[in-house]
Amino acid sequence: MITYFRNLYIHRYLLYNLTSREIKSRYAQSILGYFWILLNPLFQMLIMAFVFSFFIKIPSSFNIPYSIFIYTGLLPWNLFVYSITSSTNSLVENESLIKKVYFPREIIITATVIAKVYDYLLASTVLVGFLFYYHVNISPLIFFLPLILFIQILFSLGLSFLLSALNLFYRDIQYLMNSVFLVWFYLTPILYPIEMIPERYRFVLQLNPMSVLINAQRRTIFGGGDLNLNSIIIAILLSFGIFYLGYFIFKKLEGLFADVV
Amino acid sequence: MKVLFDNVSKHFFKQENRTLKELIPSLLKGMRPGEFIEALKNINLKFNDGDIVGVLGKNGAGKSTLLKLIAGVTQPTSGKISINGKIAPLIELGAGFHPQLTGRENIYLNGSIFGLSKKEIDSVYEDIVKFAELERFINTPVKHYSSGMYMRLGFSVAVHVPFDILLTDEILAVGDIDFQQKCIDKMISFKKQKKVIIFVSHHLETVSSFCNKGLVLDKGKQYFYGNVNEAIEKYKELL
Repeated sequence: MITYFRNLYIHRYLLYNLTSREIKSRYAQSILGYFWILLNPLFQMLIMAFVFSFFIKIPSSFNIPYSIFIYTGLLPWNLFVYSITSSTNSLVENESLIKKVYFPREIIITATVIAKVYDYLLASTVLVGFLFYYHVNISPLIFFLPLILFIQILFSLGLSFLLSALNLFYRDIQYLMNSVFLVWFYLTPILYPIEMIPERYRFVLQLNPMSVLINAQRRTIFGGGDLNLNSIIIAILLSFGIFYLGYFIFKKLEGLFADVV
Repeated sequence: MKVLFDNVSKHFFKQENRTLKELIPSLLKGMRPGEFIEALKNINLKFNDGDIVGVLGKNGAGKSTLLKLIAGVTQPTSGKISINGKIAPLIELGAGFHPQLTGRENIYLNGSIFGLSKKEIDSVYEDIVKFAELERFINTPVKHYSSGMYMRLGFSVAVHVPFDILLTDEILAVGDIDFQQKCIDKMISFKKQKKVIIFVSHHLETVSSFCNKGLVLDKGKQYFYGNVNEAIEKYKELL
């Protein structure tokens, strides 16, 4: 972990440039440009809110409108999924660099993830607008939100390292991920409150860091009880574990990247 | 001593049956799933300051693998490589350029890929633009560049990065005659500064006039290393 942050510091200017390349290039040739970052999750939320409150009646919780409830789950979920899918492809996309110039490859992955965090922050401004519009009370726990977010990013980085490295050897990874994320999405309380799951099955959700982290993010915004420390500690340990494991394997395989890409 | 190869070998594992559908029948038939290819075998080299090494060899002789090993993008299977100094890979110009970004943004991006800080790039920025003759187009996205302009920018960034060891792979054919002359002049100035240049080329005249050492590779083996003219004679024996 120290090696990782030291490499980021040494190569900070490269990290900055790769991140801004990632951000600037994405919506370069579109009229609405960065607005797409706001519009996409908004449409996603509206469609889901429509389907799941009209056809299948799912109750909200925290005393907030169901649309806001979904949105506070979708934002961190999208951050998670886009971070991992983009970084998994990023090594393949940067083939010409990997074959020619040496610099620590984790810079590529980190730049991709930071670009997604930037998207997340932009999309969050819409949420702030909603909170004002509906006069939702913000909990004082909100100061813990950056910490929870940091843990989620660590978890995403760990998985990104692992999957991006393996994907260079077997491209099956990137195709497999779509299906895995679909199942994972429904195993995470994004569309439904965690209370809808019967008590005796809830431990399954506790072992899913995304479930704990998304629930914790909602609690830091809306309050409604303390943060469930036990679950959060499990999530923190899992996240650190995945980060270490992912980074370790990534660095082990790094020397072979140019041979297999 | 800038570059030292101590008994270096590099193997690749070439897997022919990569998909499951191909792999299972081949295992049942008792075939091996792949084979090792020896790209380089027992290479022993020493490059010192001022060595301009022409690397000669037929296709598949291991020339690109040698450059990749020096650049540090791939690791040797056995043996030891030690490199003292900064490397400028002048191979595949414009690697890492992004078509949507402007010439200016790409200079900063490419410079940072070569390990420069913002300050260091600021200090050579004007020279890069002037050398590439792109003053008028520097704020245009590079996707609107002609291929000549693109290569000129790539070359210009690469040669303005401070380095001790330069790796080149048939790149002196950049742009028109005037620009090519500028590239050659630039290379000659590096030669005078006693830099190490590793020059892969099939163009024997350029090699004999520009280089002072020659390395001949044949199917991954070190066939000859020494005086450039002897190297060219040895290379001709192989043809």
